Amino acid sequence: MSTPPPQAPVYEGLVTRAIALAVDAAIVDVIALIVGVGLGLVVSTLGFSHDLRVALLAFGGVAFVVWTVAYFTVFWSTTGQTPGNRLMRLRVCREDGAPLSPRRAVWRFGAMVLAALPLLTGFLTVLVDDRRRGLHDMLAGTVVVGLSLP
Amino acid sequence: MRPVAGAWSLARRAEREARRAAARRAEDAALGALDALLASRLGVEAVDRVLSSDLASHAVGKALEGPLVDAIARDVVRYAVLERLAGGVLDDPELERALVAALDSPAAERLMTHVLESRLIDEAVRRLLAGEELWLVVEEVAQSPAVTEAITRQSIGFADQVAGGVRARSRNADAWLERAARRAIRRPPADAPPDAP
Repeated sequence: MSTPPPQAPVYEGLVTRAIALAVDAAIVDVIALIVGVGLGLVVSTLGFSHDLRVALLAFGGVAFVVWTVAYFTVFWSTTGQTPGNRLMRLRVCREDGAPLSPRRAVWRFGAMVLAALPLLTGFLTVLVDDRRRGLHDMLAGTVVVGLSLP
Repeated sequence: MRPVAGAWSLARRAEREARRAAARRAEDAALGALDALLASRLGVEAVDRVLSSDLASHAVGKALEGPLVDAIARDVVRYAVLERLAGGVLDDPELERALVAALDSPAAERLMTHVLESRLIDEAVRRLLAGEELWLVVEEVAQSPAVTEAITRQSIGFADQVAGGVRARSRNADAWLERAARRAIRRPPADAPPDAP
């Protein structure tokens, strides 16, 4: 009995990936909002000084960035799927299909921010690239493939 | 001695025959008298008087009061009387036909309409809804693992169905956008064969 030939990967397009990213952004923001509101209520009852509040706000901003980076990089470097990707049945991997290392995942996140900065134009290369790679994919050497249904 | 023994045997057989004939005649006469009695007004009157007498009431009362009823109930259970009766009756095609005809009749329909429109049903439903027992039962059923599992499975199935619909539409949108973008920059579609050199 011969084994079936390996299927060519299906690269996912802009709309599907945008929906997955929107879901992830919603998860990140909702969790950050709940934590932020809770901490804000606690701080408001303790009567901190103005300077301390500013310092706490700055700390909160840094914590938000760390939380966002951690959310994406941990999922990309472990399962290759954020919850949004899982919903849309996508997986982020290297061009050879291998999973991302944590360092490459952090690099991809930084590249994604770079691609988003010029009015999201860095993502438009997905529309014309043969492997549907965005600018951040090209910089990080990654692709986004679709998962077939079980 | 042999002629004497033969005569004795013959005499005994004749005596037996004569006795049997006399008994048969006596039986026929008794049964005839009984038939005449049962067919007569006298018999009917006698039965009526016996049944309406205090003695009959007393006898029935005593019978019901005593161990007879318990013994009958035990025997009914022991010999599966009800099952045998029910089996025999329910398997009867005549009875089935009669039941179907009765249920299909306009009288049955009228009866059912009367029952449903009667105050009795409304009252029963009102009392059922007012009682705590119903809600306890509903709560028990709603919290049972089988029901919660079924609801969870249905919710997951529904969410999966919605996500599947979104995925299908987003992939169509991907293909459409990509075709438009490639047309705008005059690139061939991704699935088109490469141009010959």
